[in-house]
Amino acid sequence: MDTQFFVSLLVILASFAIYIGIAIYNKARATSEFYVAGRGVPAVFNGMAIGADWMSAASFIGMAGTIMLLGYDGLAYIMGWTGGYLLLTFLLAPQLRKYGRYTVPEFIGDRYDSHLARFIAAICTIIISFTYSIGQLSGSGVVIGRLFEIDAKLGTMIGVILIAFYAAFGGMKGITWTQVAQYLILISAYLIPVIFMSLQLTGNPIPWISYGEIVGKMGELDRELGISEYFAPFTNDTKWQFIALMLTLMAGTAGLPHVIVRFYTVSSMKAARWSGAWALLFIGLLYLSAPAYAAFSRFILMTNVAGSKITELPEWTQPWIDTGRLQLADENGDGILQWNELIISNDIVVMATPEIANLGVFVIGLVAAGAMAAALSTAGGLMIAISSSFAHDIYYRVWKPEATEKTRLNVARWSIAIATLLAGLIALNPPGAITQIVAWAFALATGTFFPALVLGVWWKRSNSKGVIAGLLVGLIFTFSYIFAAKYGGFTILGITDTGAGIFGAVAAFLTNIIVSLTTEEPSKKIQEEVMDLRYSEQMVFKDGEVWMVNGNKKT
Amino acid sequence: MKKMDRKLANRYFKERTRYMIIYFVVWFIVSYGVVLFAEPLSGFTLNGYPFHYFMGAQGAIVTFIILLFINASVSDAIDKKYGITDSSDKRLRRGKVINN
Repeated sequence: MDTQFFVSLLVILASFAIYIGIAIYNKARATSEFYVAGRGVPAVFNGMAIGADWMSAASFIGMAGTIMLLGYDGLAYIMGWTGGYLLLTFLLAPQLRKYGRYTVPEFIGDRYDSHLARFIAAICTIIISFTYSIGQLSGSGVVIGRLFEIDAKLGTMIGVILIAFYAAFGGMKGITWTQVAQYLILISAYLIPVIFMSLQLTGNPIPWISYGEIVGKMGELDRELGISEYFAPFTNDTKWQFIALMLTLMAGTAGLPHVIVRFYTVSSMKAARWSGAWALLFIGLLYLSAPAYAAFSRFILMTNVAGSKITELPEWTQPWIDTGRLQLADENGDGILQWNELIISNDIVVMATPEIANLGVFVIGLVAAGAMAAALSTAGGLMIAISSSFAHDIYYRVWKPEATEKTRLNVARWSIAIATLLAGLIALNPPGAITQIVAWAFALATGTFFPALVLGVWWKRSNSKGVIAGLLVGLIFTFSYIFAAKYGGFTILGITDTGAGIFGAVAAFLTNIIVSLTTEEPSKKIQEEVMDLRYSEQMVFKDGEVWMVNGNKKT
Repeated sequence: MKKMDRKLANRYFKERTRYMIIYFVVWFIVSYGVVLFAEPLSGFTLNGYPFHYFMGAQGAIVTFIILLFINASVSDAIDKKYGITDSSDKRLRRGKVINN
């Protein structure tokens, strides 16, 4: 327990105080003139809130490390997680906004007019959000483990308790202004170290311009070491894996229940488009910086750490060795640490680099606070998606429609507690790096919800039997491929577990289309509701005609 | 509520769809297109980066952001052209929104 511990803890607690303060302030305001004055949150701030919701431990803690270890191949994550916003904003968000339901299972249940489809969609939501939350818990384990200088496993257990409380406390999530604060803390915690490193290494404070030079220099270092160049394409995986992973992450973005829900709460289709644009701008700020973060970290490790004497390793190494995520071993016994004797886990790169670059106790504390904001805000959203799917869509709508509000609330609380505990148990021995675990959640969303939602919005002929078969086939296909690739070594065209979504999506689209075409058409009412989604909110499709709703004074 | 000419409504939908297809073509070229031809493209450098790396780390993302902003403002312009105004938007949304 040194100065660093107290400073980090203080910064984390201070950031929490800000979130709680805003939540209390907003609650107080909500009861007064807040409703009367109209509730439109400007699209800019809504974009920030979506950004905070969206950027999880995978983006903040895991991504730069993944890029550092994979080089160019890691950029599939960068393009995949940003390019998906086009699918979401063009194909789904405004249309789902017009349809006006509050959760994804609700949309699927009503659009396809089937309780069974609603039930399966709720199960899929739970599976996807659960998988996603394993990554968040694993991330909080890294942060807490480093903070207390304990094994990441113990850190994960503390994280489980924190997240269970956080999600059950409820109010924290869904308040736009709290999320705006979380975004601001998260993004400054990410940008400040990158800017400092850029200054240290190149003398230029703008990392996005300066790191090209570093990338070039690393290529030379790699050639000297006789390993493949950092920027060389497809050195770790095949080109097809790159494309499959990118597609999976893009389609998954458009199909993730807890992200889509964010667009239901905007005020109009127009606001959905603008919020999507602002959200990607704010998210892009972090995603443009992650490759710079990766390049600087790798360069510092290669030039400052590798090559130093094994007995004179810098102070920062010990706490990270204690978490079990860093290994330094002088394998050839020459007393000097070589680049290939340094094994660093993807998941500690972002957290460890500010220490390696000696950026000072405050910056290191800020990065810890930012990482906690990313992991907690997303985990909170995921737990709420799980509990609403179980308590609302399954328990109340399908199982026990006569349940009182109080029982439903209890069921919701218990489902959060149980889901967090189960996810925590798995996160104790994470089955993969954070980005990899999260990529599985995206693969499952790509294989299930993406086809169901796209066909549901754009093809009126798709019916309940089609969607039920499609969801099931997509789920089973994606699951089997992930397991076969991860544990059985089975691959097609070198596509591994993280790219599994592409197979699930193709299978689900085909199943949905074939089954729909061979069974009866949906009712006329449903077909008209789907046609209606083509037009703006002021236009209503009814009885084969388009009607203009006159909202303005000209009537 | 008044009936709208079916042809006009179709034109609205077609115009929106046409723009969307253009955006998706650009989206495809800057991401998948560059990845497909990564090896030949790595010969060029831009700002110190090999071109394929630049597109993956910066070029594609900036293009995506620009496309989303273009879409938002072009869609607004199309809505305006067909007489859909923001004021009616605000009236409609009442009762349909949950508190965020």
